[in-house]
Amino acid sequence: MDIVTQLLITYFATVAFGIIFSIPKRALLIGGAIGMLAWGVFQGVLNLGTSYVFATGIASFAAAALSHITAKIIRIPVTALSIPGILPLVPGSRAYFTMLSFVEGDYLQGLEYGVETMLRAGAIAAGLVFALAIFSYGKGIGHRYEPNR
Amino acid sequence: MGKADDVMDICLLAGEIMLKYGAETYRVEETLERMAKSASFSNVHCFTTSTGIFLSFEETKEKEDLMQMVRIDDRLQDLSKVTAVNQVSREFVSGQLTVEEAKQKLTAIASSPLTYPLWLIHIASGVAGAGFSYLFGGGWADMMPAFIAAVMSSIVVVEFERYLKVRFAAEFAAAFSGGTIAIFLVFIGMGSNLDQIIIGSLMPLVPGVPLTNAVRDLMSGDLVAGVSRGAEALLTSLSIASGIALTISIFV
Repeated sequence: MDIVTQLLITYFATVAFGIIFSIPKRALLIGGAIGMLAWGVFQGVLNLGTSYVFATGIASFAAAALSHITAKIIRIPVTALSIPGILPLVPGSRAYFTMLSFVEGDYLQGLEYGVETMLRAGAIAAGLVFALAIFSYGKGIGHRYEPNR
Repeated sequence: MGKADDVMDICLLAGEIMLKYGAETYRVEETLERMAKSASFSNVHCFTTSTGIFLSFEETKEKEDLMQMVRIDDRLQDLSKVTAVNQVSREFVSGQLTVEEAKQKLTAIASSPLTYPLWLIHIASGVAGAGFSYLFGGGWADMMPAFIAAVMSSIVVVEFERYLKVRFAAEFAAAFSGGTIAIFLVFIGMGSNLDQIIIGSLMPLVPGVPLTNAVRDLMSGDLVAGVSRGAEALLTSLSIASGIALTISIFV
């Protein structure tokens, strides 16, 4: 029951973020669904006993992959869906407690929170990058050798 | 003059709108190159950073290359406009629009108002703030103060950005006033979890667009643009953090 409430709240919060970023009206409700999925995956993976960082990465990948698929269908830039989609995963609370610890002079605790914040932000980036890598298959640019012509 | 000049104009106008309202660098470069190529110019090159666009192409073999640039001063967030320009460029490339029609459409997009009215954006900030204060561990009673504080910080950031040239000062002020309202509301007995309420009031300020675009730019090889956007996101986060640090140091 608790998770249902959380998912509903995530849905409305993500739609609200869509309005803040002015994403097109036809993408607004879909963006909410992607944010909801990201939170659902995050909680689900967390329930398996993994770390927060890993769960964030998987959830970010799921949200980004779904954004790529839907963006192709409704012909919209991917960012318009993936930006609100990954927002529920932003480690806002860790970032806040990092700052709070530094203000209170508890530097060790602050560093601990800070490292976790950075790792979670990195996990979001990693999820985005993996989805991008998969969905840009066939558009390679060649980084090391010229292809044989 | 003539066609080459007109195409240059609409390409740069399209690029300017996209970059200004938060498109990724690769999208701007790809769109401009496609538009110029579809108008049968050769040797098309486009270089984009987060503050300017260079575009050059060759009209005919005998003539010299055309080369122009635009400087982008404001970086706003309105993904509807990016989508609309994307649509126009797609129609232009597939030949459904003439140069003249494309120009009209782009000018209309550039001067069109926000997709959502400003009051709705403030309300949405409140809803997002209230939702996230619950998701980060607050209770039902904390949602109302988080709503009020988030609306307040959204209003402050929008109004200050209108008058202050320094963008980060607006975010600093917004974080400070959002935090102050949150502390005040808890002080008079609305809500109990101060931390969660403050986090909720800050969520609308999160630099989501530069953060996501920085990752995308770095990965698609636009290193200059990616690093500068990353620096922008980092500075925004730091100014939010220092604003909230100030209010906590004073009032708690």
